[in-house]
Amino acid sequence: MKQRMRSDTTTLLALGGIAIAATVLGARKPARAAWSAAPRQTRREAPTHIAAARRFNHSSSLLALSVLADSAVEHYRGSFKNPAMFIPLLSASLSFFAGLHGGRDRRAASHPVRHGIHAFAAMAGIAGTGFHIYNVTKRTGGWSWNNLFYAAPLGAPTALLLSGGLGAIGERLRDQPANEPRLLGMPAGRAMALAVSAGLLGTVGEVGLLHFRGAFQHPAMYAPVIIPPVAATLMVQTALAAPRPRPGTRWWLRLTAALGLLGVGFHARGIARCQGGWRNWSQNIPSGPPLPAPPSFTALALAGLAALRLRQTEK
Amino acid sequence: MSGDAVQHPRARGGQAPDVFRKGGWVSMREYPCDEEVDFVIVGTGAGGATLACRLAEQGFKVVALDAGAWWRPLEEFASDEAHQQKLYWTDQRICDGDNPLKMGSNNSGKAVGGSTVHFAMVSLRFRPEWFKCRSLLGYGADWPIDWREMWRYYDEVEQALSIAGPITYPWGPPRKRYPYRSHELNAAALVLARGAEAMGTAWSATPLATVSAPHGKSPPCVYRGFCVAGCATNAKQSALVTWIPRALKAGAEIRDLAMAGRIETNDLGRAVGVEYFRDGAWRFQRARNVVVAGYAIETPRLLLLSANHRFPDGLANSSGLVGKNLMVQSNQAVWGVMDEEIRSYKGPPSLSISEHWNYQDKGKDFFGGYAYMSQGPLPVGWASTQNGRGLWGAKLSREMQKYNHQAGLKIVGETLPQERNRVTLADEKDQYGLPVARITYGFCDNDKKLIAHALHFMEQALEAAGGKEIWRQEDDTCHLNGTARMGDDPRTSVVNADCRSWDIPNLWICDGSVFPTIGGVNPSLTIQAIACRTADRIRALAQRGEL
Ligand SMILES: Cc1cc2nc3c(=O)[nH]c(=O)nc-3n(C[C@H](O)[C@H](O)[C@H](O)COP(=O)(O)OP(=O)(O)OC[C@H]3O[C@@H](n4cnc5c(N)ncnc54)[C@H](O)[C@@H]3O)c2cc1C
Ligand code: SF4
Repeated sequence: MKQRMRSDTTTLLALGGIAIAATVLGARKPARAAWSAAPRQTRREAPTHIAAARRFNHSSSLLALSVLADSAVEHYRGSFKNPAMFIPLLSASLSFFAGLHGGRDRRAASHPVRHGIHAFAAMAGIAGTGFHIYNVTKRTGGWSWNNLFYAAPLGAPTALLLSGGLGAIGERLRDQPANEPRLLGMPAGRAMALAVSAGLLGTVGEVGLLHFRGAFQHPAMYAPVIIPPVAATLMVQTALAAPRPRPGTRWWLRLTAALGLLGVGFHARGIARCQGGWRNWSQNIPSGPPLPAPPSFTALALAGLAALRLRQTEK
Repeated sequence: MSGDAVQHPRARGGQAPDVFRKGGWVSMREYPCDEEVDFVIVGTGAGGATLACRLAEQGFKVVALDAGAWWRPLEEFASDEAHQQKLYWTDQRICDGDNPLKMGSNNSGKAVGGSTVHFAMVSLRFRPEWFKCRSLLGYGADWPIDWREMWRYYDEVEQALSIAGPITYPWGPPRKRYPYRSHELNAAALVLARGAEAMGTAWSATPLATVSAPHGKSPPCVYRGFCVAGCATNAKQSALVTWIPRALKAGAEIRDLAMAGRIETNDLGRAVGVEYFRDGAWRFQRARNVVVAGYAIETPRLLLLSANHRFPDGLANSSGLVGKNLMVQSNQAVWGVMDEEIRSYKGPPSLSISEHWNYQDKGKDFFGGYAYMSQGPLPVGWASTQNGRGLWGAKLSREMQKYNHQAGLKIVGETLPQERNRVTLADEKDQYGLPVARITYGFCDNDKKLIAHALHFMEQALEAAGGKEIWRQEDDTCHLNGTARMGDDPRTSVVNADCRSWDIPNLWICDGSVFPTIGGVNPSLTIQAIACRTADRIRALAQRGEL
């Protein structure tokens, strides 16, 4: 027991170190922009809304990667019984590359192919949710806890919807004027902050369900149901209150981003605790805690940071 | 290596096997035989291990003896049903009566951890009324314990074993949330569910003592399905991986391959220690208190074996009830073939349950109740079940080809206490030179009516779930209880509510033997709850100087 505690503590310390490093590294670059109400535009930097669009593209790409890896493992586990189970793999792969492409693209115009790919992802996400709901309800017991725990996870396809949504926002933002860009009939920064908030809350729902299934057996399992909801609330505040510098929100989003990375470490440790540990990776990766899932928080928090930056330039 | 465990004691020289690490050891306190320890406990199963742990944690000096070996599950539990028979108590016993019992795999273990090492992990609470079934339901005998008190101890045991159970349990008064979530249901469990829904009765995921998420050093269950042949991952929360490690940590000494043959008493009529065989010689452990926890056959046998001039009928036997009122649980089943593939051996064998007929009193022509559960027989066991039906050769082979499609429902049924069902001593001797147990058993009419009701109901349910070629397995029994019942009258019981014998104040019995009635649920959770209560009562008595 003592030995396990020691190794637990070591893992925690190591993971903590990684998280702090990630937070600091993540914080370094944009720090300048953070503190000035009207960010300077250097020669190399595109207008603020394009920078935000690119960050959204990146977030979309990271989310797509998470969906790709997660659905590959889970649907492999489900033996690809239904050919439709390949769709998220295809869609997420396309979204991943589209997001990367968008992230490098500084032009102030949306890209029709990328836009199409993101729209496809969003639709696949919605359809997937429908499939998963059907999978739950057709089982004996219907809407029971056991089916919510073990049938197709309801929240998983929404990650694809989110990836598509973030990507599409990134595209549409590019078509807006540099001055006072708007989305969905409101200032773009506000719309993006609200979208991120909704994404965070949806993801928390999914994590809450699955960590409840795991009986919150490790105290760290509470972190992703405590930290991101605060971030989501701060995003709503960012959207609705008058724009101003929000260093607290910024740090909290960075913490949320770090949490996503830390989560991978904890999940890796969860796999190690399964019978046979990492030596038995071929069984334990599919049946242990999902490695690719936690970075969804990182993706959403990075999008939140972009929204925050844009919002600060709004009136 | 396996052979080693049954030939040479492993717990010695200040260390005992660490069940969580291959080849590992943990330190263990040791007591010399001539030191008068506070408690010597015979048997380390559901009752003995729990009590040993709780008493050691309270600061008592505890030595626990078990006739069985100290297995290392990670190294020594093979995926081989025949090999795993090493976990059963297969010493000779003589079985007679109208329905002679089949002893061994289905009802008795011999190992550190007792029968829980190969039990099926179903962890159920009694129906509250059963604690007063004579007064409230008109049969059997009342327990001297109140159900509300038991409810608290059930909570404690469920926590200690990280029971994985449903969010809401459909039967009985509210209980605390199970510490772990229920497991995913396999296809066999869903057959039960479909049948129950068709019959308009409730069903539930079964609360099980195997973890659905990591706990301490136990990994989550891998649904390998070998549970009743011993769990090779330590996901199963047997006494061997729960109470025993805790007991060692708290300073208890556990002696493996230590067969108790006699409890000595002095002229004052008090127990003074236990004579036991270990490492090729008979030895004697002195103790202020002796606890017998050898399960419902070996407990009365040891009490009877310890007869002396002062207690000529055996210890604690002034009521004449030691060995009497043996109760099995009926274990009949219906089986059928499903169109779809079931592979019922995937996962713990009883993932879903109906306790409908434990809580519903209308529509019965008998006393008592039964639960029925989904099943997951392993192949060799299944073949022998088919042999029991008279199938051999080509017929057997044809039937075995349907193995992946078969599903079954099996009861754990209540039987009534009858004095004619009993354990006595035979003239034959075992390998230690001790007279073996003679086990006399027969169902009464009430038991038979219960079985008939259950078979009829389950047959309808299985058919409604899509079962074809349905047949009845009518010969099985499981779990053993009774034989040293508790009560509040020394004339009609062997021990009181604290598991303390009426006749010898420092002799205790703490295992499945003390049940006055057995109910229609598997007994281990109740045995462990009683052991926890006994430990608390012993502390209270010690504080008052009444030990
Ligand atoms: C196959 C199987 C499946 C089961 N499934 C379930 C289930 O799903 N749920 C449930 O609740 N119950 C189940 N049970 C029953 C449960 O395991 C027992 O009821 C429970 O373990 C009994 O506890 P106990 O302490 O009375 O005896 P045991 O756990 O049997 O322990 C008795 C111990 O005493 C030792 N012993 C006996 N005599 C002596 C002696 N003279 N000297 C030294 N040592 C001695 C034995 O070696 C043994 O280890 C199952 C049992 C079996 C066999
Ligand atoms: S199914 Fe689970 S409890 Fe049973 S033997 Fe396998 S790991 Fe152990």
